[in-house]
Amino acid sequence: MPELGLLALPLALVVLGLAAAGLDAVLSGGRASAPFGEIARLLVQQRRRTTRPDVLLLRVGVISLVAAPLLAAVVIPLGDAPVADLSAGIVWFNAMEVCVWGALWLTGWSVNSVFPLVGAYRFVAQGLAYELPHMFALITVALGAGSLRMSEAVQAQQGLWFVVWMPLAFLIYLVSALAMAFWGPMSQPVGSDLAGGVRAELAGPDRLLFQAGRYALLVVAAGAAVPLFLGGGAGPVLPGWLWALVKTVAVLALLVWVRHRVPAVRMDRFTQVSWLVLIPLALVQLLVVGIVVV
Amino acid sequence: MVVTGWLLRRAARHPRPFLVSAADGTRARLRCEAEIARRRWRPALSPAEAGLLVVCGAPGDELSEAVRTIWDGLPSPRARADLPGDASHDLVAHALDRAVARLADGAAPGRPHGGPDPGDLPMADRGPDRDGLSLDRLHVPLGPVLPDWPSGLVVETVLQGDVIQEATVRWLEDGEPFWAEPWDRAAAGRPVTRGEAGRRRAAAHLDGLGRLLSVAGWPAAARSARTVRDRLLADAPREALTAPYERLARQVRRSGTLRWMLRGVGPAGDGDALARLEARLTATRAAIGSIADEAPLDEDRPAGNLLNPDLLVGAELATARLMVASLDPGPAVAHA
Repeated sequence: MPELGLLALPLALVVLGLAAAGLDAVLSGGRASAPFGEIARLLVQQRRRTTRPDVLLLRVGVISLVAAPLLAAVVIPLGDAPVADLSAGIVWFNAMEVCVWGALWLTGWSVNSVFPLVGAYRFVAQGLAYELPHMFALITVALGAGSLRMSEAVQAQQGLWFVVWMPLAFLIYLVSALAMAFWGPMSQPVGSDLAGGVRAELAGPDRLLFQAGRYALLVVAAGAAVPLFLGGGAGPVLPGWLWALVKTVAVLALLVWVRHRVPAVRMDRFTQVSWLVLIPLALVQLLVVGIVVV
Repeated sequence: MVVTGWLLRRAARHPRPFLVSAADGTRARLRCEAEIARRRWRPALSPAEAGLLVVCGAPGDELSEAVRTIWDGLPSPRARADLPGDASHDLVAHALDRAVARLADGAAPGRPHGGPDPGDLPMADRGPDRDGLSLDRLHVPLGPVLPDWPSGLVVETVLQGDVIQEATVRWLEDGEPFWAEPWDRAAAGRPVTRGEAGRRRAAAHLDGLGRLLSVAGWPAAARSARTVRDRLLADAPREALTAPYERLARQVRRSGTLRWMLRGVGPAGDGDALARLEARLTATRAAIGSIADEAPLDEDRPAGNLLNPDLLVGAELATARLMVASLDPGPAVAHA
């Protein structure tokens, strides 16, 4: 099964990423085929060179933006078991997703241009705002499952999905999923007010990798919600992997749809809410789960 | 080669246009934006993202220089369309078709790999920031070419981090004559109805609203505003405009997030950005309500907002852009 997963995982990421991009294009008034056109365009497009870029750091930045979601995805069960069922899978997922901070900062800084740099500042501020509530949401799941292993988190939900008795943690997770993929309401780091922010100067293969990494992040963020909160592959009639896929698509569609319903949130206002509202809520949720478990 | 050709042809069906408009290019820009929306192309946010540069109207010296820089930086394959300010629908469509054909051919290669090394560029100087830290001071002009930015505006800023420490405001041209046209014609003694002026006024409000919503990171709502704007300018009757406009206004008013983000931003004589948004929605509704009015136009054009650079000092870039978009300023008019 893990060998099969090794093949299925990249395939699933690509297909789901393209589906998300297609849905987003349609909701943006474009055509569903737009992502394919964009890939073709970026494949033949020249790189853009700014004055005195740090090319090495730029490459490291955009490549790690693709690598981070791939590595995060190996602990997500596609049905029964993930590609790598690490004993600290939840921590691994969190660690890989934090690599995105570095990737975005390097990309924004290395092109030596103001708007990408400001976009990178914004992402660091965003990280400070979302990461703590996010970690508490993940810890709540681990506490409920009594394990940091993803497969055991799924097993612990055989009777009752975590979303039912940890709804606050689930909502906080969804908000932080948007933030980690700098998507929709949390897209200020690549905001249109900065002419595209971190990616403002990227063209050709660099932009292709950046966009691929961003959609992969979105898919992984949606995919991880399934074993963490939505019972993994549990469901009647259909096989486990298909249920996991159906649930992932549902969360992914929700995240894509939110982008078209909610304007962007600035961190100078959100950080306060995050620290004064989301963190206390996450702690209350943790406390409730802790009492139930004990 | 075969693969490249196939990719080029596929890519040409999904061009990413980047529009630049001179003061006299408003009509061409609006027609072009409507045509781009009809073709379901997605506009680019920056020159690096774009493959198609569209220049509307006749830019003056400084804007021409900016356009040249942008064209030089546009990655190949690329195409360019220059539209006269009064370009007709057919001309716009024809120019875009030709640009697509050139993109499919892969012609007009860009400069191979960027500009020359500039040699000794001075490092950024430093100064204390608002927290007393010594930080780099970057001299950054906002405009004249920036998406969702008022035509002809340049704000010269000194940035520390993303905070504006100093700002000066310049206008390259005397404002967009297109939006003042009905009043100018009436002043010249020609017959103009109130409805005609109301239609132009509503379209101007929606054009500005589109910029504000886009800067606020809500592209879907910005698109709705532009759709209503395009219908207004395509002479749709009032009955066909009221319902979509009301839907848009309801959606915008109901967004708690938007209110949260605009409250307290850019306080001026007429309130903050949120109050200005509300005023704009009310004024748009009134203007749309008046478009069937056949009475002759007998009032002056309402004065636009001015941009006070002091407002921007101390603001972060994101807030500064919201301030500018919510004011939707024009140059001070000397002759009025």
